[in-house]
Amino acid sequence: MIRFDNVGLRYGSGPEILRDVTFHVLPGSFHFLTGPSGAGKTTLLRLLFMSLRPSRGLIFVFGENVAELSTSGRSALRRRIGIVFQDFRLLDHLTTWENVALPLRVMGKKEADYREDVTDLLRWVGLGDRIDAYPEILSGGEKQRAAIARAVIARPELLLADEPTGNVDPAIGNRLLRLFVELNRLGTSVIIATHDYGLMEQLDAPRLVLYDGHLQLRQAT
Amino acid sequence: MTLLSDIREYPWTSLLTGLLPARLAALLPARFQTKSAQIVPSASIAGNALTVVIAIMSFLACLTLGAVYMVNQSANAWVNDIASEITVELDPVNSADIEKKMTLVALFLAKQKGIINVKPLTAEDSAKLLEPWLGQTSALQALPIPRLIAVEIDRSNPPDIQLIKTALSENFEGVALDDHRRWQAEIRTLTRSAALVGLAVLSLVAAATIAVIVSATRSAMASNRDIIEVLHFVGANERFISREFERHFLGLGVRAGLVGALAAALAFLLLPTMMDMLGGGIVTTAETQRLIGSGELDLKGYLLCVLVVVVVACLCMITSRLGVIRVLKNYA
Repeated sequence: MIRFDNVGLRYGSGPEILRDVTFHVLPGSFHFLTGPSGAGKTTLLRLLFMSLRPSRGLIFVFGENVAELSTSGRSALRRRIGIVFQDFRLLDHLTTWENVALPLRVMGKKEADYREDVTDLLRWVGLGDRIDAYPEILSGGEKQRAAIARAVIARPELLLADEPTGNVDPAIGNRLLRLFVELNRLGTSVIIATHDYGLMEQLDAPRLVLYDGHLQLRQAT
Repeated sequence: MTLLSDIREYPWTSLLTGLLPARLAALLPARFQTKSAQIVPSASIAGNALTVVIAIMSFLACLTLGAVYMVNQSANAWVNDIASEITVELDPVNSADIEKKMTLVALFLAKQKGIINVKPLTAEDSAKLLEPWLGQTSALQALPIPRLIAVEIDRSNPPDIQLIKTALSENFEGVALDDHRRWQAEIRTLTRSAALVGLAVLSLVAAATIAVIVSATRSAMASNRDIIEVLHFVGANERFISREFERHFLGLGVRAGLVGALAAALAFLLLPTMMDMLGGGIVTTAETQRLIGSGELDLKGYLLCVLVVVVVACLCMITSRLGVIRVLKNYA
């Protein structure tokens, strides 16, 4: 599904943030991406999401060489990926419901076909009473859950999440983790970037550990 | 084809909400309201200033097109008039009995093939033709004004003008025939020049409109950069993103175009009254009407104004689409 071959990345003429990163993500797998702050977790997620180009090496997403993709080809692949950003990236002029429905709207689906699905998912993540609220009046945790709902609504083949439980209490965090696990059982590959050891210990999943620009794969203990 | 389908899929029923103030628009029935929330908010696209600029451009385009159309219509009518007539001119000097000579020439002309009607003009009629330039003065009677015979020809079976000309000069002294060809050529030159000037003005208006829309598109994209990024992240392609922008510009083009066209239509409606109110006098009025006819636009003329609205709207839509796609290439 995802293949990184000797990928390196540097911003401009600065030092390499990522060095010789090589790994495979198989369909239906679940990985944690961890490492100290500033190790390059977000950068690696951006490479996975094709919003950054590597300075060297090859990246294959769904079997396609990212370097050879056209912009429309990249858009088509992104529709198969769900992403949760650390800063949520919700659109302030749209309601919670409209934000979550955005990927389906972009896919050209009719509103009548997904109205119930979006509402059900919002209820499931605990935002049933915030459906018509605008992001500016949501708390950090509510925004996080809305961002996660947006990432998973279209049942992506790959889910990338950057610190998805960083702003929520443990109970909600556990619930969100269950959502990710459920998605994974349905066939979605999941990569969660986090340095929340409590979260990682709840699940027997391999860890991609970034340290000093290098990546190591550690199987769960 | 995508352009046509985009126009077809445009939420036209919601256009009215864009024309009316928000409070009034909220009172409209549900089918006139925008169905789903706008991903790119209208308020972030362009303010009233852009609408005013495009409306002025449409107004100028309608005025130019209308004026060229009127000149063309008037010139066509004039050419048709003078093409079915020739004028025979009798020199009043050295003509002892001008009235007798008029009768003889008229009889001669009436016998010629291809001539439908011969109408000798009286001395008073000839003098009246000079009134717009010289005014009503008794001095006209003292002047040796040439006498004229208006000859209507059969356009489907025209006479041999050259033959008549030769016959007249052989049989009568001081008689000349004017087939108005020089006038026709001058009128055609005038209409072509008017059309060229109109085309130049329309090109400038189009260029200015494109420049304004390109600038507004760039500015709209800069102020909506966050939205574009999110759209990219959820997998929106260039067409989807450009459609979100261009529908605003299409609506803006229709609204501004309509305002400009209505203002121009009003100007054309008031033009005859304004010409009277400005009181240019007989000469000015006669000259103006000779150039642009009665100063009133007919149905086809008003349809041209509708065409301007369509062109302006399409120009806004296409320019913004190309502008957005061009900027998106740099984003990628």
